[in-house]
Amino acid sequence: MDEIVKEEIEGNVEIIIYGIINSIILSLMALGFTLVYSIARVPNFAHGALYITTGYITWILLNKLTGFPYPLAIAIAICVTAVIGALIYRFILIRVRGMEISEIIATYAIGLAILEGLRWGGLRGGTFTLPPFISGSVQLFGVSVDYQRLLIVGIGIVTFACLYLFTHFNRVGLALRGIAQDERAAMMLGIDSDMTAIVSLAIGSGLAGFAAILLLPLGNIIVEVGYNVLIFAIAVCVIGGLGSWGGTILASFIIGFAQILTEAFLSTHYQMVVALFAIIITLLIKPSGIFGKQKELEERV
Amino acid sequence: MFEAREMMVFYENMIALNNVSINAPDAKIIGIFGSNSAGKSTLMYALSGIILDIKKKEEMRGGERISVFGRLFLNGDDVTNLKPHLRAKKGIVLCPERRRIFPESSVMENLKIGAYLSSRLDTKNNIDYVLNLFPRLKDHLNRQGGFLSGGEQQMLAIGRALMANPTVLLLDEPLMGLSPAYMDIVVKGTKEIRDTKGITIIVTEQYARPVIPIIDYGYILENGSAVLEGTGEELLNNPDVKSAYFGV
Repeated sequence: MDEIVKEEIEGNVEIIIYGIINSIILSLMALGFTLVYSIARVPNFAHGALYITTGYITWILLNKLTGFPYPLAIAIAICVTAVIGALIYRFILIRVRGMEISEIIATYAIGLAILEGLRWGGLRGGTFTLPPFISGSVQLFGVSVDYQRLLIVGIGIVTFACLYLFTHFNRVGLALRGIAQDERAAMMLGIDSDMTAIVSLAIGSGLAGFAAILLLPLGNIIVEVGYNVLIFAIAVCVIGGLGSWGGTILASFIIGFAQILTEAFLSTHYQMVVALFAIIITLLIKPSGIFGKQKELEERV
Repeated sequence: MFEAREMMVFYENMIALNNVSINAPDAKIIGIFGSNSAGKSTLMYALSGIILDIKKKEEMRGGERISVFGRLFLNGDDVTNLKPHLRAKKGIVLCPERRRIFPESSVMENLKIGAYLSSRLDTKNNIDYVLNLFPRLKDHLNRQGGFLSGGEQQMLAIGRALMANPTVLLLDEPLMGLSPAYMDIVVKGTKEIRDTKGITIIVTEQYARPVIPIIDYGYILENGSAVLEGTGEELLNNPDVKSAYFGV
């Protein structure tokens, strides 16, 4: 009798702990996408490709150059991805800015080119893995959690805090938020909209890379992950309300827990179905997402 | 000295501004009056450079064809082809029609975003200046911009523009939709900005009566052309103007 109760409690604790971990993972995946959309109004469909690129660059540095320090490889990979993001805006998106369909086609084409290019260039099979930062695991309330996942939670929260501080107290961060809310009004105050878009794409791509570095040690670097990350990022953003930060985090928790619950009670391979199903429900009930906040305010004014 | 020479703006084949020349000497308030669709906002967009951005976006979209002619000089420098943010850097700052404050940012953040071009010390001084100019904003520093009343938003919009350290401040219809009490605060504030900071102010308005006492010189726009100009008194005493714009 006692044994069964104990097992049940452990099961619940496991759902809660892994739910939180999964939610933070999702929000890390979506963070870069949200940032770019909320500031530059560009849906960056190359997000997943940039994610995989960072992982692959790190892998190359670690495995082709023997003895290359891991932290330096990570820093270089993230910087390269950020520069790629900036270049994508500077040379391609700048020409189609403001035309949503063209932006989507352009970024998706870039993403596709990068991902399939990587596949063609040899990114196939399960041999591409990144080592975890710290190996081993720990018992947490009777549930075993590995250090990498704990690190993800910790670094994820620190990342949110840093981004919050950056956008609320830094001059450039405030300018980004100004452009996000009213591009022309910000322009009149001397803020360059192309510069902020380049910065936001660089930061957004860097965040995609940062998420990749944190999350890829949990699995393999494979091209399909790039597509999945993109779909999860879009799901989270659509449900939370496009361009809303609070919404992104809340939506990550909703999908994150929904996925863990389906995993516990149904089966593992429903993960993607949950995300897509959530998009459909959101679009049916509240198309602007949970925090379609901007619209409400506009109506008030 | 801010000078617009023979500004012409076409939307497709429709003329929105026809040969308008405006002289704004330092530390003076210039009034631009006219009814709806007289070209006031187009003039402000042309002066602030926003028209170039509108033009670019329309071109990209394959929308309306906009042509801009004429030259703009700030203290003798040609600023005709500068993008809006570079004009703001030179000191030409527009406080747009309908205020367009950042609705999701607090009052304080709105001011800080406006201070993008200013140094840290300037920012601090300017915030003090703005809060002194419009003490009512002090009560709402942490409130979201979108939840302010129209008059408060207008004060915030002017304050935000001041944060960019302008030498030429363009106010587009600052009294639109305000109660008489708020009109009074905004008009007095405008005068004080000129007197204490020595900023050149160009203000457009449909209803000229509250603004006319503080202007140093004024123009009257009609269908895109400047049909009349003169000091506030001259405009006030002109019989045509009287009936058309002052409701006497």
